[in-house]
Amino acid sequence: MVLYALRRIPSALVVLFLASVAIFAVLHLAPGNPAVVLAGPDADSVTIAAITHQLGLDRPLPVQYAIWLRGILTGQLGQSYVLGAPIASLIGRGLGNTAQLTGAAVLLAVGLGFAAGTIGATTRSRVVRAAVVTFTTISFAVPTFISGVLLVLVFAVWLRVLPPGGHASLVTDPLGGLRFLILPAVCLALPASAVIARFLQTSLSAVLEDEYIRTARAKGLPAARTLLRHALPNALPPVVTVLGIQIGQLLGGAVIVEAIFAWPGLGQLILQSFVSRDYLVVQDLVLLAVTVFIVFQTLTDIAHAALDPRIRLGS
Amino acid sequence: MASVAHHGPTRAEMLAMLGGAALAGLGAPASAAPKRGGVVQIAQVPDVIPSGLFGQNFPNGAIGGLIYNTLTAYDHRTLAPRPQLAKSWDVSRDGTTVTMQLRSDVKFHSGRPFTSDDVVFCIKNMQDPARGSQLRSTASVVTDLSTAGPGEVKLRLAHPVSNLFDLFELMFIVDRESLPDMLAGKSLIGTGAFTWKQWNPGDSVTLARNPAYWKPNRPYLDGVELRIIPQTQALLAALQAQQIQLALGLAPKDVVSLHGNKAFETVVGDTHDAAFYVGSNVNVKPLDRREVRQAVSFAIDRERILKDVFGGLGAAQSVPWPQSSPAYDAGDARRYHFDPDRAKQLLKASGNEKFETSLAINSGLAPASAIAQIVEFNLQQVGITTTTVSFDAAQFIKRLAGGDLPGLWVNVHGFGQMHPATLVVSAFPFNAAKNASNFRDPRYSAAVNEAWTATNDRAERAACRKVTGVLLEEQFVADCVLTSGTYAGVPAFRDFSYNMYDYLNFDDATLG
Repeated sequence: MVLYALRRIPSALVVLFLASVAIFAVLHLAPGNPAVVLAGPDADSVTIAAITHQLGLDRPLPVQYAIWLRGILTGQLGQSYVLGAPIASLIGRGLGNTAQLTGAAVLLAVGLGFAAGTIGATTRSRVVRAAVVTFTTISFAVPTFISGVLLVLVFAVWLRVLPPGGHASLVTDPLGGLRFLILPAVCLALPASAVIARFLQTSLSAVLEDEYIRTARAKGLPAARTLLRHALPNALPPVVTVLGIQIGQLLGGAVIVEAIFAWPGLGQLILQSFVSRDYLVVQDLVLLAVTVFIVFQTLTDIAHAALDPRIRLGS
Repeated sequence: MASVAHHGPTRAEMLAMLGGAALAGLGAPASAAPKRGGVVQIAQVPDVIPSGLFGQNFPNGAIGGLIYNTLTAYDHRTLAPRPQLAKSWDVSRDGTTVTMQLRSDVKFHSGRPFTSDDVVFCIKNMQDPARGSQLRSTASVVTDLSTAGPGEVKLRLAHPVSNLFDLFELMFIVDRESLPDMLAGKSLIGTGAFTWKQWNPGDSVTLARNPAYWKPNRPYLDGVELRIIPQTQALLAALQAQQIQLALGLAPKDVVSLHGNKAFETVVGDTHDAAFYVGSNVNVKPLDRREVRQAVSFAIDRERILKDVFGGLGAAQSVPWPQSSPAYDAGDARRYHFDPDRAKQLLKASGNEKFETSLAINSGLAPASAIAQIVEFNLQQVGITTTTVSFDAAQFIKRLAGGDLPGLWVNVHGFGQMHPATLVVSAFPFNAAKNASNFRDPRYSAAVNEAWTATNDRAERAACRKVTGVLLEEQFVADCVLTSGTYAGVPAFRDFSYNMYDYLNFDDATLG
């Protein structure tokens, strides 16, 4: 098993190396560079050339690549060309904030989705069922840039019960942090909760028609116990599959929600960095994403091998 | 040395200055004693870029003027320089020597006294192309700097320049001992009313009151927090929810939507520092023909752009100069107005009744797309078919700097509000030697040089007439609408001001 795991590492490193070359090449082939952005729209070519030289962007591309790779390997990510700030702290702060937002959104999506899906599958009231369908349809159909603005308008501008945007640390100011977190997390969670609710409702409705459920009811088992112990666990597999996909989409959707709610996460960082051609920040962020993906792929391979001896013996 | 000089403000100038300050403030001046204390929350869309503080990039105007001082500050109406860190100055009759007396009671936030050596450092720093200052050409005219003690600095110039005080208006006096920390955004040390506390990139900048500020009993505020809100709708919502007390750079239509709402006050700046224009690459046929460029200019409905895109906040005009500029002339400003028939005649005369070309826009420039739609429609009406090409900011600026934009483009330029020479020397679209349009003309170069080196008002105005004449005739830059920065806030926040490049000044600001 350990040998199997070790055999995965070289191929993962090769993929990582090739990815780093591709990321570097694609970014540097895109027109424009950070010197142009820093110089501004009124700058002349002498100014742009001087800033290009100062940033080291006039060196040959292989040299720039080697310097970047050495920085990655030694843990020295360097400084943002445009902002001037250390990249490690930029990414660290953004990562923490995005994790907070998506974590809260996942919890909310699961909570809302399970509640709506379960109610939709078990209720006999047409009105309640219609209400659930309305909730899931609207939540899914309305894009986050619309729902975000509406949430701000209602809860921040009209009712003034929550801030319209911004961020506070959950560690140093838990209550304040929570107030800032609610609206963006709800906005991000709504579409995912609708998908979860729809899948759960369909799956649970089918399970509730199964004969073993009828048997449980005939035996006089309480409805709640029948639902929680027998029906729900059997309805979960398709929901878990879709939940995994939704988490990935939540990370993608965070870019828009972060902009609407001025949430300083990774989405904003990568967007602004790409627009300003802040090469090092974009390269580091994309490489980080690739690394995370490769690590999870490798762990999945290892998990499959652990569960199925044929895989590790076969390889 | 013979002197023609400026020894600080005269009484008339002082009155003008007071009027200017009131105009620049948000809300009426407070009648009672100013209220001390409070941390004002302000917000803008773009993040600050500390390494760009020597360039004239917009995002830094919100903090630069709070942390740093400049040597002088213009009166907005007369463009007469006022003392700041320089308390008086003498300019020699031939305009090649300037002697400045400096304040002796100024300290940097680090506690180090401000001296003439700091002025020498800052001017040399501005001469470095790597600092990205658009005033580098003017700074580079200073060929020798000498000091006579900590309170006097003497500048010798290679030739007289009429826009030297634009340099002093825009040049932050920075602490020479901490320049690397400043460029890295770690610590910004100046002599201004507020000290740098913390910067969370993409989120906020926190400033605190400078207790040792050289202006007695100033500032009134305890601090300033600048929040970065990367979406204009969210910026408006933050103001409407009163989460912030001042929103910088709201979209004009959002500003208009606040009019009549007593919970908010809006100010449209009097600097008129953003001129939206349609540029032509004269290397692209048939835009190499002057008549074709003139036709394009006559075809553009400037009034519609002003109304539909800017909510009427600004001026539709065909010159880059605002009314406060010595180069402004009302007839010139109206020279190109919406006249499709005239445009068709010019196209016919040039033998290009119908043609196709590109219309490039910078996707990072908010109003560009809306302006381009109007221009595209206008040009279509006179027989010019355009294909809109959208570039992101980095691509657009690179092509602009290389004179490589394919045909026409929509963009914005600044500097018209400063001394006329600054526009034609420092704003790349107008640079006589090399510009985005690839336009060269000995007449233009001579007129620009004459305006730059003029030693008196009369010569300067005469030279400016020549510059404007060439600009209007050649139309390689067709100015369309002149707008200003917008400030929208709550009435409780009052008495702030800004300089001619929108550097904020909260020396007298209070939070009621």
